Amino acid sequence: MHINDTVQASYKAVTAHRMRSVLTMLGIIIGVGSVVLLVSVGRSFERYVLDQVESFSSHLIEIYPTGFEKFGRSLDSLSFSDYEAVTQLSTVESVAPVIFVTEKVVYGTEEISPMVFGTTNKFFANYSLNLEQGRLLNESDIKGARSVAVLGYQAAIDLFGDRDPLGERIRVGKRFYTVVGTMETIGSALLQDLDTPVYVPFTTAKAQTGQKYLSYMTMKASIDDDNLVVADITSLLRQRHGIENIDNDYDKDDFRARSASQATEIVGSVGLGLTIFIGLIGGISLIVGGIGIMNIMLVSVTERTREIGLRKALGATRQDILRQFLIEAVALTMIGGVIGIVGGASLGALIAAVASKFVGTVPFVLSIPALLAAALMALATGLIFGIFPARKAASLSPMEAIRWEG
Amino acid sequence: MPKKKTSPTVPLIETQSLTKSYFSEELETPVLHGIDLTISEEEFVSIMGPSGSGKSTLMHILGFLDQPTTGKYLFRGEPTRTMTDDELAAIRATRVSFVFQAFNLLPRTTVLDNVMLPLLYHPTIPASERVERSMNAIKSVDLEDRALYYTNQLSGGQQQRVAIARALVTSPDVIFADEPTGNLDSKSGNQVMEVLQDLHDEGGRTIILVTHEQSTAAHAKRIIHLLDGNVSSDTKQFTQINAKKNNNLKK
Ligand SMILES: Nc1ncnc2c1ncn2[C@@H]1O[C@H](COP(=O)(O)OP(=O)(O)OP(=O)(O)O)[C@@H](O)[C@H]1O
Ligand SMILES: [Mg+2]
Repeated sequence: MHINDTVQASYKAVTAHRMRSVLTMLGIIIGVGSVVLLVSVGRSFERYVLDQVESFSSHLIEIYPTGFEKFGRSLDSLSFSDYEAVTQLSTVESVAPVIFVTEKVVYGTEEISPMVFGTTNKFFANYSLNLEQGRLLNESDIKGARSVAVLGYQAAIDLFGDRDPLGERIRVGKRFYTVVGTMETIGSALLQDLDTPVYVPFTTAKAQTGQKYLSYMTMKASIDDDNLVVADITSLLRQRHGIENIDNDYDKDDFRARSASQATEIVGSVGLGLTIFIGLIGGISLIVGGIGIMNIMLVSVTERTREIGLRKALGATRQDILRQFLIEAVALTMIGGVIGIVGGASLGALIAAVASKFVGTVPFVLSIPALLAAALMALATGLIFGIFPARKAASLSPMEAIRWEG
Repeated sequence: MPKKKTSPTVPLIETQSLTKSYFSEELETPVLHGIDLTISEEEFVSIMGPSGSGKSTLMHILGFLDQPTTGKYLFRGEPTRTMTDDELAAIRATRVSFVFQAFNLLPRTTVLDNVMLPLLYHPTIPASERVERSMNAIKSVDLEDRALYYTNQLSGGQQQRVAIARALVTSPDVIFADEPTGNLDSKSGNQVMEVLQDLHDEGGRTIILVTHEQSTAAHAKRIIHLLDGNVSSDTKQFTQINAKKNNNLKK
């Protein structure tokens, strides 16, 4: 039998059993499509998380006190002179000190318990926080230890709802502050929740709490290598605190300097878990897709066996039969596979686009390994369950095949 | 295609103690019990017998569609049991053809494509002749106006005629026809018999026909009776019904 005739015979068999062909292809489309879709959406989500972390953490460095919590008191190892010393380092810029005020915040009948950050306006720049309305804390607020406050996005909503908070007076503990600004939402709550706090001048917080030490410090590295900067800070503070620590054992320190890119690595390891999870989902959808394809192919085995018997009765060789079924399986698998890949990818891109409207840019990541695995799975199941029954049927005598009942 | 003639001492078909049992889940159904039969080239044979006597079973074996359980089947002196799958396929494609009692047409496929199907597997008939040959075969069973219909859009008798056209299209040496007139009225039945008789008388083809109608069997030169899987009688006929004459008379 000439190969052209085989191709034609396959084509006629496919079109004669339109329903069966469509269902087989649908099985392949859904199988391949769901693998591509699920894995790509998972990958896109992962990319989104990492982007978020990276965008707001680039060159961000934090120093915070460590050690055993003294009963009833916060850690007090970071002094104001430490802050002055760190500011003198050439490898850092935009150093912002932070003192936490642990008091309730009240406006009218509304009462919330947010983090109250006593800090400077550099703090906002370090975390890429943007003003929504009003103004930030400025130099004269700090110098004059003024009683002004900037509300995080969520804090403004919680206290004021729809009302305009600018110019209103809120009470933090026993002290009244005038609201001078509110912040935009940062849309990500990954490392810290920076939407809920209330921000007040560092000096005012210091005066109100009487605190003699810093809750923590934040700054930007002014050179590319964050790790070098961290090392620089660490050796400075060890020297200032009189800590001998050649083997770099953090347990011996009473502080810790950490770059946010290290935090990104932590998120990255969370990302590894996510990757494994996505792989698992991909694997399961591969199996489910494969079973779908297998099912529809097995359902038609009886019908196909009879057809094979008849073709053999009319003179077809075993090779003729196998070639026809091979061409058929490959054609259905390829068409279905391509539709599945395009469909799964399009749907994934659509989901990413829709999600972008709500949570900020979600980049669409097409997972090539998932795509290849899905294509391979479709081809393998298509071939195995298309060719094996055909092979078996072709080895029967024509009458045995024609009488086949399944 | 030139017909291969073997020496007259070697019969076309010879069976020796041929038996056939069907097996299903340990259950054996013996159907043929030692058939010894010789059919020569260019014979026209009718096989008769009651329902269930094993006619179709025997035809399938003789027509290379099934294997006997025991015994020998020699085709032109060659034992079929040792033939390879490809040799069997070649014989089915070129030497013999079969009209099934149950038609066995491809559904959702046109009459033309059904009739053309054996030509796809024929090693020597060129592709360019396929449509013409198929249309001729379809004409000979009077179905040219249905050539592009799907086979599931035809009546039982029309389907039977498609099955006959499909068996004629390769001009095989031997035609096995299992109740080819079973679903036909006497007029179209006669037409089919005329086609078969023509192939035999003028084309020198060997025809082996199963029927339960005496009048159909009487077209053949030899009638074999089967009873419970045994040959019960095997008689030569010196005068046959002539389908052509019959047809002309009716007109
Ligand atoms: N696949 C099968 N499995 C088991 N038994 C079978 C099978 N096919 C046929 N038989 C049995 O073999 C016997 C002969 O069947 P066969 O079809 O050869 O009869 P037949 O002479 O052609 O009858 P009819 O005139 O009704 O067509 C029957 O008794 C039938 O039940
Ligand atoms: Mg029968």
